Amino acid sequence: MRRYIFRRLLTAVFIILIVVILNFTIIKTAPGDPARLMAGFDNPSEELIQSITEKYGFDQPFYIQIGRYFKSVIRGDLGDSYLYNQPVARLIADRIGPSLLLSGVSIILALIIGSLLGLYAGKNEGKLIDKIFSTISYFLNSMPSFWIGIMLILLLASHFKWLPTQGMVNVRANYTGFRRVLDIATHMILPVITLVSVQIPTYFRITKSAVMQVMAEDFITTLRVAGMKEGAIFRKYVFKNAVLPIINVFSINLAYVVAGSMLVEIVFSWPGIGVLMYRSIMMRDYNVLMGVYLLISVSVVIVTILMDLVNAALDPRIRYE
Amino acid sequence: MLLDIRDLNIVYRMRNKAIYAVNNVNFSLEKGKSLGIIGESGSGKSTLAMAILKMHNLKNTEVTGQIIFEGRDLLALDEKQFKEYRWTRIAAVFQKSMNNLSPVHKIGTHFEDIYRVHEPDISSSEIRERVYALFHMVNLSPRVYTCYPHELSGGMLQRVSIALSLIFHPTLLIMDESTTALDVITQGQILEEIKELEKVVDVTRIMITHDLFVVATACQQILVLYAGDMMEYGDVRDVLNHPMHPYTKALIASFPSLRGEKREVHSIPGTLPDLSVKTRGCAFYDRCRAHREICRQEKPVVCQTGGLHTVCCHLYGKIRETDVKEGVNR
Amino acid sequence: MSSIFSRLISALSINRRLRSGCILLLCVVLVVIFAGAIAPYDPYKLGDDLMVRPGVGNHFLGTTAMGQDVFSMIIYGSRTSLSIGIVSALISGVIGTLIGAAAGYFRGKFDIVISEIINIFLMIPTFFLILIIVALFGSSMLNVMLVIGLTSWPSNARMMRVQALSIKERTFVKSAVAMGESGWRILFKYIIPNGIFPVVANTTMGVASAILTEASLSFLGLGDPNVVSWGQMIFDGKQYITSAWWISTFAGLAIMFIVIIFYMIGDGLNEALNPKLRRIR
Ligand SMILES: Nc1ncnc2c1ncn2[C@@H]1O[C@H](COP(=O)(O)OP(=O)(O)OP(=O)(O)O)[C@@H](O)[C@H]1O
Ligand SMILES: [Mg+2]
Repeated sequence: MRRYIFRRLLTAVFIILIVVILNFTIIKTAPGDPARLMAGFDNPSEELIQSITEKYGFDQPFYIQIGRYFKSVIRGDLGDSYLYNQPVARLIADRIGPSLLLSGVSIILALIIGSLLGLYAGKNEGKLIDKIFSTISYFLNSMPSFWIGIMLILLLASHFKWLPTQGMVNVRANYTGFRRVLDIATHMILPVITLVSVQIPTYFRITKSAVMQVMAEDFITTLRVAGMKEGAIFRKYVFKNAVLPIINVFSINLAYVVAGSMLVEIVFSWPGIGVLMYRSIMMRDYNVLMGVYLLISVSVVIVTILMDLVNAALDPRIRYE
Repeated sequence: MLLDIRDLNIVYRMRNKAIYAVNNVNFSLEKGKSLGIIGESGSGKSTLAMAILKMHNLKNTEVTGQIIFEGRDLLALDEKQFKEYRWTRIAAVFQKSMNNLSPVHKIGTHFEDIYRVHEPDISSSEIRERVYALFHMVNLSPRVYTCYPHELSGGMLQRVSIALSLIFHPTLLIMDESTTALDVITQGQILEEIKELEKVVDVTRIMITHDLFVVATACQQILVLYAGDMMEYGDVRDVLNHPMHPYTKALIASFPSLRGEKREVHSIPGTLPDLSVKTRGCAFYDRCRAHREICRQEKPVVCQTGGLHTVCCHLYGKIRETDVKEGVNR
Repeated sequence: MSSIFSRLISALSINRRLRSGCILLLCVVLVVIFAGAIAPYDPYKLGDDLMVRPGVGNHFLGTTAMGQDVFSMIIYGSRTSLSIGIVSALISGVIGTLIGAAAGYFRGKFDIVISEIINIFLMIPTFFLILIIVALFGSSMLNVMLVIGLTSWPSNARMMRVQALSIKERTFVKSAVAMGESGWRILFKYIIPNGIFPVVANTTMGVASAILTEASLSFLGLGDPNVVSWGQMIFDGKQYITSAWWISTFAGLAIMFIVIIFYMIGDGLNEALNPKLRRIR
């Protein structure tokens, strides 16, 4: 087990390394002077260009450049945003909390709701209720996340005027304590509904198909014939066999989920990474963009590897070699 | 009489057709006289076995006739009444033992859960002791109890399945192609163990198989099924030494020698008829080398030829004794 | 090649979902071809009627804040979506098939490297990679197609590789090897034609996700500014959502419609390929 963990962690480090190289290579090969791209302005001063060129050694051989880039990334230095006049790491750190809050809450809700619905539909496969769920899931799966958000604003917010559609807090009220928590919670309603609707189909589908596959297994028949109650078989045997594919899909989908979250943040002006990224695209603040990409990739890789370990701990068939 | 099956008919009803999987099957089973059911793939063997365990989904499967087990008609019992038979008196080992166990649960967990179905208050250590005894009977080491299925070989899994079926010491054990997936040596070992078992526990088997060898070594009686119809039934020795039905003969001829002498292997030309059409005459008509006009027109009636030995074939109708010779000589 | 074709035909005849999907796709293709004849207005022309409600005047689906006819924009937008979707899925399908088949058939070091690359690609968030590249290299339609295609092949490659691994063991390949046919010939003559069916299904799904990716890029302002795009329409309509709901709404419905068509075809192909899958979705 320990060796398995070690190997997976090694893989994680390796992938992160590749991501960093990829990141740097993109900005290097993009049309234009990399130092000028990093500066972000339309008209950066010559001194700024000079200092960026020196920092990353753009006038030196490639391996030195990448070495320097590595060094600064490892130190947590993702460059500076000359627009905000702040280090990129600082900008990200200030905004990661709201993003984590939003995506965390919605992932957990979607996972619970989606897989419960999937369990139910898998158990009642072919019945009307299953057909209704499956059709809804099919449609939800084909809508762009940001569009669902906009439609919710259109349909709900005009009827429920108290439902905030923008931001995370009521900037005019300046609540504290419990009132503040409540305020954030009401601001979260629409974006969370959006994100949950986007993610439900994935969990619904995988759970349903896993349940149907397990139910068709011979060992279920044996347990049934031996007289075990349907409910007990479902809770103990079907469930445990179906959990593994769900975990797997969870990590496979993480990257999509994060992307969806960013877009939905933009729709609801949620003060997180998504809006930061959007601004940096608009203002051509490439350093920020690269920083966000690096951060997201690294986090996704880490979570995926962690999920692999959870999977290995739950599945006796995975050998630790 | 342990089991008496009378006029058993099983029909699978599907959206646009019906499959007549078992038609008018009659046989009986005495305690201690194990029965082998043989027939090619699709002939309704598993369907028949599943009916004895009331495994059919009655929404789309019609089961009519009588299955009289120890004096009670199982088909007349509801699920609650049948519970006292389930696994305690009738148990089964199914086809494909590889998938007979949940891959993410330990072997022992399966035993514990099945024990607790009928004896909810039994302690874990008590279960463990009894399972070790079962394992001993089927030549498994106690270590297996804490293993996962993937850690065991095919033969070991098969033994686990057998042990699982013996938990409550059933009087009737149905084994559906339980040894087919194994290599010949392991298969032989397990057959020996099964026979040994009978000296310890009082169990009668119904063994479903494609393999005449299994029937010949491990059963006392044989039932030959073809396309859901009974062809021949009787003591293994009678039937194998003096087969009467053309299908049984062909089946024996298609099997590489039972006694080691070299013989040409004849496969039976043709395939099973379409089971969704109810035939008027004999099901084997198309492939039978001895068929006559009447075989197409009428279902053959059961013909008792002395003792248990029963054959369903127009060649042996009492009235047509002369035809018998004719048919055999052909 | 003819075997793939006949398999497609037989899949079409047994699977209703596949059939309906193909018919709908045909309709969309006709719309794309005859966009000029169907659309009543030039979608690029800024008219005088600003934010007209649907059904008023000749504007079937209303107009935008700049007076463009929404219906005409949707008709023309199908060109953008469909061409980006199909071209990038094709790029990814071809690359994935070639690399996957070669890795699965030849094995060895090449396979190890390719498998590792596939694993890495499948783990990192592709959307952000696409986004960065498009942001830095420019957002012309060609760039968008290329980038989506070049970043999404690994899932096809993985599928093709698995197919190649199993087909390689089949007798007809083994006898071809024994008869001395060259590796590349075997690859193109046996491995790819026999294993490509699941990749075709996956590529169809890939069209749907490419269309969604393109819409997301446009929504972020990274669409081609010179063409009408549904994602762009949703984005533009967002600020008028309370006063002119129709702009975003119809554009989103259009995306949903076309994405569902490709899901239907992809699911249909998968079901025809593997009847056990049926009714799981
Ligand atoms: N659940 C079912 N629904 C409909 N038809 C079925 C079902 N189960 C079996 N059949 C059909 O009933 C016939 C008999 O099948 P059965 O499984 O009893 O054959 P078998 O003799 O056990 O064959 P094998 O040796 O391959 O196990 C076959 O034609 C089969 O297609
Ligand atoms: Mg069977």
